[in-house]
Amino acid sequence: MASTDASAGSSAAAAQNEQQNCAAAGFKLKFCTVCASNQNRSMEGHLRLAQANYPVISFGTGSLVRLPGPTQSQPNVYKFNQTSYDSIYRELEAKDPRLYQANGLLNMLGRNRAIKWGPERWQDWQIGAPRVKQLDQKDQGAAGMEAGVPDIVITCEERCWDAVVDDLMHRGAPLNRPVHVINIDIRDNHRDASIGGSAIVDLADSLNKVAVEERERVGPAVFDAGGAASRATFDERVPEVLSEWQERWPDLPATWTLAWF
Amino acid sequence: MAADGTSSSSALSVAEQLEQLNAARKLVLENSTYYAQIVKGVLPIIGPQAPVELRRWGAEFLAESLATPVLSMGEKEGIAVTVLETLRHLIEAPSEDAIVLKASIAAAASAYPVVVRWIINNAWNKESWENMSAIKSRILRIWDGALAPVKICCIKFAQRVVLAQTVSNGMEHKHNGLDVSLNMIPENHSCLDRRQLEAEAIGLLDRTLGILQDNSSDVLLVDATINCLSILARTRPGTTNRILNAVLNFNPLRLATSSPMTPKTKVLVRSLEKTTRMFLAHLLRREPNHPMAGRIQQYLEKLMRQRAELYDEANRKRPADQVLSAAADAKRQRMDGAAPLTIPPLGPGPHTLAKIFTLTDNLGLQGFDVTQLPAELAAKIAVRTLEGMDQRVLDFAVNGVRDRLATLSAAATAAPSAEPPAVLNAATAPLGVDEDDDDYEPDLTPAEDTEQILNKLDNAPPEEPVGHALDGGATLAALGPFKLPPPPALDPDTAAQLSQAAASRVFAPLASLKDGASSSGGGAAAVRRPKAGINRLAAASFDRDSWLTVITRLATRSTAGLDDEEDEDGDDGGEARIKAEEGTTTSLGRLRGPSLGDAIREMLYNYILEDWRRRIDVAVAWLCEEWYCDQVAKRRRRSSASAGDVTLHYEKWALRVVDGLLSYVTAQDKVLTRFLAEIPELNRAMLSRLKGLCADPTTVQLALTSLLYLVMMRPPVREAALDVVGEIWTEFEDARPLAAKYLAKWRPGFIESQARALESGALPANAMAVAT
Repeated sequence: MASTDASAGSSAAAAQNEQQNCAAAGFKLKFCTVCASNQNRSMEGHLRLAQANYPVISFGTGSLVRLPGPTQSQPNVYKFNQTSYDSIYRELEAKDPRLYQANGLLNMLGRNRAIKWGPERWQDWQIGAPRVKQLDQKDQGAAGMEAGVPDIVITCEERCWDAVVDDLMHRGAPLNRPVHVINIDIRDNHRDASIGGSAIVDLADSLNKVAVEERERVGPAVFDAGGAASRATFDERVPEVLSEWQERWPDLPATWTLAWF
Repeated sequence: MAADGTSSSSALSVAEQLEQLNAARKLVLENSTYYAQIVKGVLPIIGPQAPVELRRWGAEFLAESLATPVLSMGEKEGIAVTVLETLRHLIEAPSEDAIVLKASIAAAASAYPVVVRWIINNAWNKESWENMSAIKSRILRIWDGALAPVKICCIKFAQRVVLAQTVSNGMEHKHNGLDVSLNMIPENHSCLDRRQLEAEAIGLLDRTLGILQDNSSDVLLVDATINCLSILARTRPGTTNRILNAVLNFNPLRLATSSPMTPKTKVLVRSLEKTTRMFLAHLLRREPNHPMAGRIQQYLEKLMRQRAELYDEANRKRPADQVLSAAADAKRQRMDGAAPLTIPPLGPGPHTLAKIFTLTDNLGLQGFDVTQLPAELAAKIAVRTLEGMDQRVLDFAVNGVRDRLATLSAAATAAPSAEPPAVLNAATAPLGVDEDDDDYEPDLTPAEDTEQILNKLDNAPPEEPVGHALDGGATLAALGPFKLPPPPALDPDTAAQLSQAAASRVFAPLASLKDGASSSGGGAAAVRRPKAGINRLAAASFDRDSWLTVITRLATRSTAGLDDEEDEDGDDGGEARIKAEEGTTTSLGRLRGPSLGDAIREMLYNYILEDWRRRIDVAVAWLCEEWYCDQVAKRRRRSSASAGDVTLHYEKWALRVVDGLLSYVTAQDKVLTRFLAEIPELNRAMLSRLKGLCADPTTVQLALTSLLYLVMMRPPVREAALDVVGEIWTEFEDARPLAAKYLAKWRPGFIESQARALESGALPANAMAVAT
């Protein structure tokens, strides 16, 4: 708890300015990545964003976690929230180590288990429930995500975006908190997921830069509509940032909306 | 970096204070019981006099505390009432920082229903309501002139006011104050006036919807508005029509037609279009029977169409557009590389018509489905191309195709037995296109497909195929998904007709199937094959016997227990009976006319009578099945102890078969004896039909022999059969000698007593019924 003890600080004003600058510069948008099974694309995004020091969580929108099996008609199916990456890893390794090594599943699961405990389902997520435990578990990207509310949701497939937007409407927006929901179409294979991961980090950097600019600006907001165009706010600039990003990544078609938690 | 202008009285730097505040925040996130205490503790630090960094932190912390799902409404009441004054100061402060304002308004939006609920029960606390009302009027006043991020929070605040001050249908989630509604406010509350509140809500709703009515292109605001309307439309019936009318009159594509298609416009147009579509589809999915569902559907279809046209036009105007760059490149390549046209000869094997006319070796172009283009566009392209084309190239191409056809027809005549190129439908011809050899990953791709298909099934995506049509060059190479038109609605009569037709198709294979029993025996004497036995499988091969087994079981078992369902609606036993076949119950149960089972039975009956001497085995097998099912039905009735009647079929159909046979029986048809011996159950009614045979002297012997066989070989019906013999003796003079012979042996004394009775003119009672 801050004390309000009154004693004049010598270079308080200067230091304060300095601090404030740092606080703004150190500002990080909070992200959430979403794909179907919370295994490949969203986890690649999760890892890359966490490595870039963004607070990040990730989810899947499917009904079950589905991983390739020995044939097309025999996928490996697991329950969300109840199965850890580690247990899936060990199960597949016991089943057929060569197959799952060869198709990259073990590699992927090995990566995932180092990121967090297990796949989580978007629809079952209680938005705003504190995620302090995840920080203690050393989940990657957990730092800064303690309040469990991201600023930006990035989905990796159109129907995941649809599922997220529909679910948010269904929840009824109880938290009154705006959230930008952005879809980036990434094909579901390791190579494209990796490319998509870079694209996600690029987008995150671009968005964060704009957000930091906004936070560095301090001052009256309400009656200053005249200059609004020259100093558009973060929320307004998201579509612009996205379209610039889209020109850099023309193969990953993007969709955006502003929704509510 | 602007200075905040207020002097901090703290000895600590802002950064140190923030550090401490963040530690406090971590504490409440770990343990929510500290919320009330810590919120109260931070209020003095984050007030309007504090440095902007602290105000930002404070406003955001208040918004977070009032929104958190871990606190109950009761716990939040305490917090909300405590923070109202600070919140009011923050919001009323002139020239407040946008981020502080944004978070404060979000906090006010979360506080609003909490405070309303508190005031409902604590009308004495006028001060809190005053603060809340002041916050409300301030927010509504700054709404129009505010910066975008603040404005969207004003929209959300207004939405919460509307939610709290309109009548609910009780369909909302009961948390975070979503369920606070006009229903909760009593009629004569001392500080909340229902009518006034409702009027205010409707006014605010109209103001919120104004942005749609103005057909605004401020995408951020439109998205923010549409994305918070769902809960109002779904759970506040008083708002539904207003909202739907506003959205349905909104044209999300206006921006596209009114301004040039820059990359940013494209993002904006797509956002407006998708957001509007998602909202309407969301409502439609949750309330498919909504009175306005038809209009919504229409609107969605129109939107899809307009969008397709829009992009179509954009493509035509600027072929180098980024979205289509891939496709455009492909086109240009082909034009530039108008290398001397070579026409490769077709390989051996059947070819599709499409392949014969395909002269390019570009895989992408080969896979392009021209039918995706609108007809008029295709026509224009064709005309334009023909105009600009070199005559020699055209001739060359035409000759090339002609040669191919000639080669093919030569090949066809050379080998007349070989199949002609049968698949000539270009639209359905396999394309054999491998879209992307380059980034093809053999290990993962099949798995990816499985996963995606399965997930697609899970989610039943509302996304229409058009949505992807322009997303990239690669999709152009794939055929659009083909959707069957929905079947016409069935009425009960057509359904009955169709099930009749379906039943008759079941019999179609019988004509062509091999006779299971060898024909050597010739009809009735057909020898059973040795495989018969208790372990025989009912139908192991696709011959006529097996198929007949299938048919008899279809007739007797498939709908067993369903037909009687109508008579005993709501009966437990009946429900249990049909549990396993729930899906079929409704469709079958509602059929008018004969049930499906009876329809098949009727056909089976006709099939047997067509050639009954040969098909007597079928009749026996069928009746055995019928009898078995009746036994099962009876047992079920006993065990379920229900009073309801079970429809039994055996007796009815056995009688019909017996009647049917008897009208054709001749003296030589010993098969009748066998039939009677083999069917599982006989009763007096059936046996007495045999008396009819005795009217014809030639068949008397057959009738009596059959009865004698039963008397000798089927003790359970011995008495009944002897009764019939006795009746024959009584009624048919011609049959007496033979009947007397049997009676003398099996029922000694009968004739004597009958003779006496006849003489005295009094017939025994049991002979009366059948006297004709």
